[in-house]
Amino acid sequence: MKVVGQRLPRYDAGAHVTAGTRYVDDVRIPGTLWAKALRSPHHNAEILSIDTSKAEAMEGVFAVVTHADVHKNVHGHIEGLGVPGDEPLLAATHVRYLGQPIAAVAAVDEATALRATEAIEVTYRELEPLFDIRRAFEPNAPQAHDNQNWYPDFEGQMDRRQIRKGDVDWAFEQADHIVTGVYRPYPMEHVPMETQVTQVVPEADGRYTVYSATQAMYFSMGVVAAHLDWPLNRLKFIGGTTGSGFGGKVDTASETITVLLAVKAQRPVRWRWTREEEFLCSSTRAGWHMEVADAITKDGWILGRKMLTLHDAGAYSRFSPYGVTKHSFHHTGAYTIPNLEFNGYVVYTNRVPSTAMRGFGVTSVSFATEIHIERCARAIGMDPLEFRLKNANRLGDTSPNGVVYTDPSTVPVVKAIAEATGHELPADYRTMTAAMRSGDDLPEHLVGQLGNPEDH
Amino acid sequence: MAKAVGRGIAAIEYPTGMNQNGDPSQAWIKLKMDGRVDVFAGTVDIGQGSKTVHSQIVADAIGVPMDWVTMDTSNTDSSAFCMGTFASRGTFIGGNAVRLAAEKVRSRILEIGGELLEVDAGDLEIADGEVHVKGSPDKKVGMGDIAGFATFVKGELISGQGTALKEYATLDPETGAVTVPPHSAISYAACAAEVEVDTETGDVRVLKMSQVYDVGRAINPTMVEGQIEGGAMQGLGLGLLETVYPYYPSPDHRGSGYGSYFVPSMEELPELECIIIENPSSDGPFGAKSIGEMANNAQPPAIATAIYDAVGVWVTEMPITPEKVLRALRAKEEGRPESRTDGKYIRYDEELSINAVASADSAVLFAP
Repeated sequence: MKVVGQRLPRYDAGAHVTAGTRYVDDVRIPGTLWAKALRSPHHNAEILSIDTSKAEAMEGVFAVVTHADVHKNVHGHIEGLGVPGDEPLLAATHVRYLGQPIAAVAAVDEATALRATEAIEVTYRELEPLFDIRRAFEPNAPQAHDNQNWYPDFEGQMDRRQIRKGDVDWAFEQADHIVTGVYRPYPMEHVPMETQVTQVVPEADGRYTVYSATQAMYFSMGVVAAHLDWPLNRLKFIGGTTGSGFGGKVDTASETITVLLAVKAQRPVRWRWTREEEFLCSSTRAGWHMEVADAITKDGWILGRKMLTLHDAGAYSRFSPYGVTKHSFHHTGAYTIPNLEFNGYVVYTNRVPSTAMRGFGVTSVSFATEIHIERCARAIGMDPLEFRLKNANRLGDTSPNGVVYTDPSTVPVVKAIAEATGHELPADYRTMTAAMRSGDDLPEHLVGQLGNPEDH
Repeated sequence: MAKAVGRGIAAIEYPTGMNQNGDPSQAWIKLKMDGRVDVFAGTVDIGQGSKTVHSQIVADAIGVPMDWVTMDTSNTDSSAFCMGTFASRGTFIGGNAVRLAAEKVRSRILEIGGELLEVDAGDLEIADGEVHVKGSPDKKVGMGDIAGFATFVKGELISGQGTALKEYATLDPETGAVTVPPHSAISYAACAAEVEVDTETGDVRVLKMSQVYDVGRAINPTMVEGQIEGGAMQGLGLGLLETVYPYYPSPDHRGSGYGSYFVPSMEELPELECIIIENPSSDGPFGAKSIGEMANNAQPPAIATAIYDAVGVWVTEMPITPEKVLRALRAKEEGRPESRTDGKYIRYDEELSINAVASADSAVLFAP
C-alpha cells in the first residue's frame, strides 16, 4: 500500500502527550555538575576588569570560564556565508546587551553555581545605550556596537542590501497615485516549552558527547568545533529530539560554553536555562521598520515600489544579514511589480540579539505589504481581491531578482479564498488562471519583465 | 459597550530552503538481512513530524510497508550531514535526500532480485516488500530473501546514499540579480480572518480564520493541517498578543515569564477552516512544496485588515494590542485623519516614519 498522501499518525505523538519522550533534560549522567552564567547587568558598558579568583576558590566549584578560555572567542555562525563574526562567546571588552554572558561556572549543585557567579567581580564603565533603530544613523547616535551602528559587509562591500529592477523613476512619474505607509512588527519570543539545555559528557576516549536540543546538529557541532579549534570527530552530538525551537534553537546558545566547562572540570556538566533566562536572555524574532511607497494607476496596476527596511539586529549580527537578504528577495510578496528600489539595513541596538524565527525575514514583509496592498486598492476604490489577482505572480513573470516564476499560485489561492468566504468575483477574474499573461493581463509596462519559464 | 465585526484577507508566498541555496541534506540507507530499512539522516524533528514524513517517502520510494522503515536521526556519528531544520527545508530538502538514497537502494534490490528471478531488473517492480515481475505478481521474491542473499551469499551490504543540494546563487550587490534561482519551489497561501472589536476596551477577538495553502503535494494531510492550524495560532499571537517589548523600542516592561508574556491559549482558538491545494512542484519529493514557516505569515495582515473593516482604523505596529486600538479609535474620534493627500501622494503613518523621528542629518532617511 502506498503511504504518501495518507493521514498517518506521528510516530512520537503518543509519547509527547504521555511524558514518554526523552528530552535532553531527562538524560541522567552520574556526577554531573551544574552550570550557571554571570550575565551583564547593563545594556551597554565597557568591561574594565574581571576577577574570578573568589569564585574559583569556593568549595564545590570545579570550573570557571571566561573569554580567556576560548580559543576563538569571536566566531560568526554564518562566517561560511560571508558574514564576519562580531559576537564574543563570553564578553571580553564590552557588554552590549542586558543578560550577555561574561563568565560561566560549573559546580556541584545549582545553588553553589549561582553563588559562585555572584562571587565573580566585574567592573564596568556604563555607556549610553541605543534602542531606536530609526535614530541609529544620526551623527551623534550612541554607539551600540564595536563598529558602526549598521552592518557594513553585504557582499563584503555594501552597508545595505539593495534591489534595483526596471525604472522606478518612470513608475513614480507615470503613477496616478503614490501610497506610502510605515509598518513596524515588534520583536517576539520563540517561547519554547523546553528552555535552552545542554548536557556534556567527557568520554574515556577523549571525545565529548553533547546532548543538545539544537535544531541543527551538524551546524551546532560546527560552531562548537570552531570556537575550540577542534576537529569534528572530537565531538559527538546526540540530538534529534527538540522541545520546540521555532528558529531559536539554531543559535547554539548553550552548547559551546557547556563543553568548555566540561573540558576544564573534566566532569559531566549540564546547563539548563531558567524560564526567566529563556525570556530575557535568549534571542528573539527581530523588530522591523518598513516604509513602503507604491506607484499605482487608477485602474489598479502597481507600476513600482520603493521600500526602506531597517532590521533591529540587537547587539550582534548573528543571522540578520541573511534575514534582510531573504526579506529583500520577497518584498513584492505574491505580486509582480516591475520597477523596484529597495534598501535594507541591518541595524544594531543594545538589546538581546535577534535571530531566525518561523518565517525569517518574510513574516515582516508579508505584514507590511499585505496591509499596503489593501490601502492601495481602497485608495482607487477597487476590490482588494481583484487588485491582488490583477497584479498576481503569473507564469513567466519575474521576481525582484529576475527569477522566472515557474509554478506561481497567487491566482488559485486568492480565487479559493474568495470562494471559501463567499466573495463574488467578476467573470474575467473567475476565469483567470496562473498561465502566462496575454491580452488585457499584459499591459505594456509588464512586457519587459517577462521571462521564459521553459528555460528554468 | 459596542462590538464591531470585520473581515480581512491576505495572500502570501514563501520559498523553500536557505536563501541563495548551498544548504545540503544527506541521507544513507542500509538494509537489514530481513529486508527492513534503516535510514540515517540528520534532519532534526522539531515537532513538525519530519521523521514520519521521511518514513512515508522512503516506504513509497522503495516499495515497502511503512513499519519496515526505521529513521535514525539521533547523532552525528551515524547520521549523515543535514544543514538543519530551518528555512522550511525538512520535508523538501531532507525529504529529497532520503528519496534519492531510497531510489539507489531500490535499484540495487531490483538488480539482485533480477539475479534471483533470472529476469532483467527492468522487468521488475517492488510493492509491499516483495519484488515481482511486472504483470506476473506470482513470480516474486521477498526483500528478506534478497537482503539475506546479498549478506550471506554475495557478501554485500545493500545500501544507498543521497544528497539534496542546490547550487549557491551569487548575487549582484548593486541590483540583487542572481545567477540561479535562489531557492527551491515557492509555496502560496491566503488567509481570511473574521474579527470582533470591542470599541470600549480595544480588545480584538478572532472569530474565524479560513486558510488556503498550496503545498504542492500533501505527503501527510493530517500533519499539513497541523502546521496550518498551529501556524494560525502563532500568527494570531503575532498579530494581537505577543511582544518582548510592549513599548518598543523602549526596553521597559519586558515580560520574563508566562504570566507577563502572552501567547495564545485555547481561549483564543477561533473556528479554523483549512483548504489544501495541490499544485505539484517539479523539484520536491512526490511534488511537495514546503509549509513549515509560512504558516504564521498570512494571519497578522489579515487580522489588521479585518480590524480596519470593523472599526475603520489601521494599526500598523504589531501586535495590535487593545491600547493601540483605543489610541487609533480616539484619534479617529478627534477627527485626526489617517492619511494626508499631498498632490498625487496619499501618505499614511507619517508620525512613525524615520523622517519624523530621526534628525535631519541622519545618514538614512526615506523620501519617496
